[in-house]
Amino acid sequence: MSEHELSEQPLDTEIQTHINGRPIARRVRNRATLAQFLRDDLGLTGTKLSCELQVCGVCSVLVDDRPVSACTYLAVDVDGRQVRTVEGLACNGKLNALQSAFVENFALQCGFCTAGFLMMSTSLLERNPDPSEHEVVEYLDGNICRCTGYEPIVQAVLDAAGRIRAAGTSDD
Amino acid sequence: MLPPFGLARPRSVSAALAELDEDSVPYWGGTELLLAMRMGLIRPRQLVDLKGIAELTEVRIEDGELVLGAGLSHDEVARDPLVAEHAPLLAYAEALVGNARVRAQGTIGGNLCFAEPRSDVATVLSALSAEVRLVAADGTDGADGTDGADGTRERRLDMAAFLLGPYWTDRQPDELLVDVRIPLPVTAGVYLKYQTVERPTVGVAAVARGAAGCRLVVGAVGELPAGFDFEDVASVDAEAIAGELEPTPDLTGSILYKRHVTAVFIRRALAELAEKVSAP
Ligand SMILES: Cc1cc2nc3c(=O)[nH]c(=O)nc-3n(C[C@H](O)[C@H](O)[C@H](O)COP(=O)(O)OP(=O)(O)OC[C@H]3O[C@@H](n4cnc5c(N)ncnc54)[C@H](O)[C@@H]3O)c2cc1C
Ligand code: FES
Ligand code: FES
Repeated sequence: MSEHELSEQPLDTEIQTHINGRPIARRVRNRATLAQFLRDDLGLTGTKLSCELQVCGVCSVLVDDRPVSACTYLAVDVDGRQVRTVEGLACNGKLNALQSAFVENFALQCGFCTAGFLMMSTSLLERNPDPSEHEVVEYLDGNICRCTGYEPIVQAVLDAAGRIRAAGTSDD
Repeated sequence: MLPPFGLARPRSVSAALAELDEDSVPYWGGTELLLAMRMGLIRPRQLVDLKGIAELTEVRIEDGELVLGAGLSHDEVARDPLVAEHAPLLAYAEALVGNARVRAQGTIGGNLCFAEPRSDVATVLSALSAEVRLVAADGTDGADGTDGADGTRERRLDMAAFLLGPYWTDRQPDELLVDVRIPLPVTAGVYLKYQTVERPTVGVAAVARGAAGCRLVVGAVGELPAGFDFEDVASVDAEAIAGELEPTPDLTGSILYKRHVTAVFIRRALAELAEKVSAP
């Protein structure tokens, strides 16, 4: 393929998206990944990069409520969609129930994996507010943590699920 | 870093077909294609995003078949009520594919078209005697086929005809995989896999057939899913079947080891199938 052939066609695309509820309109390179867009263009460095093979989960974000690997997902594919990242979890500087449960259950040490675990856990609790321990382990099985030994993470998610359900019932 | 490419975002199958050629390739989740591009294995001039085509995500029953749009994610197939009712074996296998992100992002069509030999989906669909429907724009030099709707030509292939080898299918560059068709009713079935890394070491699907028979498909262990039909389950010799296969040795095991695990999983699958069939 010659450079001439390439240049006949634009290599970037105008996109409109919402990131953590905020509308964003940008021209992005077609080849940019969502992780590059979030980290390099928008400065949202909570989303991490490591394996870039969809195996470790540190890049997990939600696109229209679906968990995706931002390392292997095109930025142009969030056009017209809603993106949620770890930066959107806390409300007015206050950690949400899941984040608090992670802190209180010692579910993080170095923290490199944490954003990914938080986003996958968010996705799990949205589709299943009362998961069993087995279901938590299964759903988080695409995320790697080299520090905690996983058990505190699983406990944190179960703890958060209980807190969120309790808050839900007391509101009724 | 990915190489540069142009982007087309068609809204209909016919608009997508007009974009396809050797150098302009379709994608949905990108879970396989983007990895291959990053490794420098493919460098298309243009990617054709199929996600704007609503009809590719439909599930319906038509002419005695369960029809699954190529763009359904693994998770969508696993949780679909029609799939749960008519092909629970597929729902079960789809819920175990890769990890939760791969299931949410990757599609049934992308899985089949990429033809990674360690696919759960291809093994189960072979056992269910499923076919894929491929469509191309008419007047192009696609392979032989019958006439499809409005200016398209289409053909249907069973798994054995569609999957030709590792990362190799009979799909022509101008063809789109539109849907997967599973003949109904689906009889009792079992899928068992052994998996220690991202993909299975072996996957065994067994589906009841006739009074005492079954269709057995062994996937992931060799280059292609291997299918066997038996009149009588009692006559199946698991060691002999495993001995016939040509396992691909890799980090998950040697040829000898994989033959052994395969025989064990065939026996377990058939025992489980017998239990299912005898249960009322
Ligand atoms: C970490 C990881 C673990 C995995 N584990 C498993 C597992 O346990 N079991 C398993 O079965 N699979 C597994 N997979 C594979 C997974 O199922 C596939 O990656 C996924 O389904 C591909 O779908 P996609 O939409 O992302 O395809 P894409 O990457 O978008 O496309 C793949 C290929 O298919 C072509 N294509 C896509 N859609 C069409 C269409 N409609 N018509 C014509 N051509 C098309 C593209 O041109 C490309 O060549 C795993 C993948 C990863 C990354
Ligand atoms: S960096 Fe995306 S899964 Fe590891
Ligand atoms: S806390 Fe260090 S990798 Fe998980």
